[in-house]
Amino acid sequence: MKPALALSCGFPDGAMANLTSHPDAVGRITARDTYDLPALDLNAFGSLLVSMHIDQRFLASRAEQIAGFLHDGGTVIANGHLAYPFLPGITGFHPLENYGLGDLAVLRLIDHPIWAGVSENELTFRRGVAGFYGRAWHEPPQGATIVHALGNPDRPLDFIYRIGKGRVLFHGGNDLWQYGGADSAGRILPQLLNWMFSGESAS
Amino acid sequence: MSLAVLDGGTYFHHAAIYGARYRDLFDRAIYAPEFAPEHLKGVKLLIVPDRINPDLLRARRQILIDFAERGGTLVVLGENQADTWLPGVKWTFRPTNFWWWLEKDARPEQRLVAPNHELFRAVPFADTIWHFHGVLKPPPHAQTLIDVPPDREGRDAGGALLYDDRVTTAGRLIVSTLDPFYHHGSNFMPATTKFLDGFLPWARRLATA
Repeated sequence: MKPALALSCGFPDGAMANLTSHPDAVGRITARDTYDLPALDLNAFGSLLVSMHIDQRFLASRAEQIAGFLHDGGTVIANGHLAYPFLPGITGFHPLENYGLGDLAVLRLIDHPIWAGVSENELTFRRGVAGFYGRAWHEPPQGATIVHALGNPDRPLDFIYRIGKGRVLFHGGNDLWQYGGADSAGRILPQLLNWMFSGESAS
Repeated sequence: MSLAVLDGGTYFHHAAIYGARYRDLFDRAIYAPEFAPEHLKGVKLLIVPDRINPDLLRARRQILIDFAERGGTLVVLGENQADTWLPGVKWTFRPTNFWWWLEKDARPEQRLVAPNHELFRAVPFADTIWHFHGVLKPPPHAQTLIDVPPDREGRDAGGALLYDDRVTTAGRLIVSTLDPFYHHGSNFMPATTKFLDGFLPWARRLATA
């Protein structure tokens, strides 16, 4: 399996360091500066990891390169809110307005290996506080597998879809690799690595 | 004279700068990777929001310093590694306690040092209080506006979270560890929105006075 490429944003990213130093990831994730992207041959990588902190305006200027990577079989794992169109397929972004506790509940619509054994409640709450996992929803393309929604099944939060031979995992909230803790959400990190490096179909 | 803001291209900068709530306050948004001296023509106050890629700021530090030396006002918010590019800034990391408000009998550590400073006519002190990422040691003769006492675990001697420095350059440097663009632009933490509700109109008044 080709290594994954993590795009860095100029500052030390502790959450990404948790991912790259995980025993299942050591030596398998290469970090490069975001602005080096035009000079990189993405065919050398199996996955592209996009943090919530990235310059999306720049990424949107590289949308063609990213789409090409996907069509050729690459995996893109992207986090945050989509402000600029760097990913094919996603058509809309909606921050929750005047939200209440019920709006922030993470709802699992379908089981998926990345979140196997992860409690919805422990995604919704951290130390009793809701909202870390997501506070916005996006409109995925037709046929996407929607794993989690936010407060209402009509508000997709985590979804996976195919582009060409590749696949996109979009998480519309704080970076998935922040979830390395002691509760059941800590299962995300190794299970995400397994999904990323297994290259299985987008299910 | 006008108010300008640097745009780091992230979704949270996009939401805070181009979102309906504040966009009419900015005369100019400057995309940080393209930032050049000519963008500051006619600008009196430039905001460097929190969490701009610090490599970009280091590479353009002379533009920022020249602006302040010409008499401009530079507002530099948190998590920008300003200690690596802005004169006079000394910063010490303190592990972030995101959860202070959940502790028993929680009382924020922040202290209002300069209640008569003009900023606090626009921004209530209460709206400046959320977690913080490190403390600043202001240059001599700069005015500390908000500070915190020494770390309870002895990791730092305390310091400023916000100061106003009219000494280091011919202009003015307003420097803070606060990170309101990130949290407001992430649709999280209402205190940060309340802060910007007061701070940005104040900055606009300074820029257009």
